Amino acid sequence: MTKTGMIDFRGVNKWFGELNVLKDITLSVEPREVVVVCGPSGSGKSTLIRCVNGLEAIKDGDLVVDGQRLGNPATNMTQLRTEIGFVFQSFNLYPHKTALENVTLAPIHVRKIPRTEAEKAGRELLAKVGLADKVNAYPAQLSGGQQQRVAIARCLGMRPKIMLFDEPTSALDPEMISEVLDVMVAVAEEGMTMMVVTHEMGFARKVAQRVVFMDAGAIVESGTPDEFFSHPKTDRSRAFLSKILRH
Amino acid sequence: MLENFSFRSIVEYLPLFGQGLVTTVWLSALSFVGALAVGIVLCAMNLQRGWLFRAPAKAYIDAVRATPLLAQLYFLYFGLPRLGFVLPELVVGILALSLNSGAYVAEIIRAGILSIPRGQVEASVASGMTYVQRMRLVILPQAFKVTIPPLLGQAIVLVKDSALLSLISVAELTRAGQLLASDRFMPAEGFLTIAAFYLLLYYCLKGLAALSGRWLGTAGART
Repeated sequence: MTKTGMIDFRGVNKWFGELNVLKDITLSVEPREVVVVCGPSGSGKSTLIRCVNGLEAIKDGDLVVDGQRLGNPATNMTQLRTEIGFVFQSFNLYPHKTALENVTLAPIHVRKIPRTEAEKAGRELLAKVGLADKVNAYPAQLSGGQQQRVAIARCLGMRPKIMLFDEPTSALDPEMISEVLDVMVAVAEEGMTMMVVTHEMGFARKVAQRVVFMDAGAIVESGTPDEFFSHPKTDRSRAFLSKILRH
Repeated sequence: MLENFSFRSIVEYLPLFGQGLVTTVWLSALSFVGALAVGIVLCAMNLQRGWLFRAPAKAYIDAVRATPLLAQLYFLYFGLPRLGFVLPELVVGILALSLNSGAYVAEIIRAGILSIPRGQVEASVASGMTYVQRMRLVILPQAFKVTIPPLLGQAIVLVKDSALLSLISVAELTRAGQLLASDRFMPAEGFLTIAAFYLLLYYCLKGLAALSGRWLGTAGART
């Protein structure tokens, strides 16, 4: 048996109708590794991480997550998803629940943790993301940055093995980006396995072991943040970097 | 003109109007509960992926919405006994209103569920919830809030539709008006009075809608 990573793409393909959105993706993410995925819009980077927890189904190839092959009838997707946190660009907090209820809902109902215990853990997590005073606030009463930090706490409440971030700061006002990135850095430094779709280079340089550059559904280049940002190897990555670095 | 208008007859018939009003209220309420039950089942069928449940639900909803309530009522009242089902007129009336209104309620609930952003489903899927948990904890509580105002609108329609039951001799409010109109030949008095009572019921339901709107508005429903 070959050694497998925490997340293992082997020759993965996916189509949206005629469009080949993922082309022969082979990528392995080791436990405790942080991989940043970047690329122009429409390059398939969101689709790539959405495949990991089965929000998108793959067409062919193998995708093994935490030792379980996706698409295999023996794989319990619902169970596997409890091990994978997913942070959305648009937060997707439950608007009818308070911050604390957002964090404790799945632990109580999915993990079957007793309510008092889940609430204690939830309060600690909200304190950890700097929102101890917003425990009883509804999402509508929070800023974008605060909502995204609740969303991260909501994922951490499940004690996942993997965290996926789909452009977590793209919907935020500039002054709120750093408060979210700080939380993500803290999560990374605790040894979480992470795949992060982002163009935040500061974050990538600080915590990522690897940057993967995608274009038109394929992985074009991958390397350490320093290699990639300072010495991009392909024309396409150079063109991309020149655009995001212009300002 | 007004000297011909007999307030005295109205007052004399008030007990009858009162009984009619009470009957209209409770049979409407019962029919609305029935409509909710029919609507929830139809909506659940309609939201399934496979056509096996969806097709009959869609056909039923179309059939009800495309045909007059009076035709449906007459079918149940005159048609069913010929097919061997003899039911009291009150039961037929409540059944007709429930089955009719249920089709509209199904569409209202469906619209409420479909109005919940896709991201809510994805967030709950990603956290490992099963279909039932997602519906119970995330989707339905939110859909419920957006559904209340149109459902009360449907309740108002149902109360007005219940007037048709006078045609199968259910002693409800409109029937009381008809009695005054025919017994004393006072259609103006009879029908104006029941109109006033329907207006009263309308304002009660509208007040309820406003109240529920205020109540729901405080629960931080908006994003």
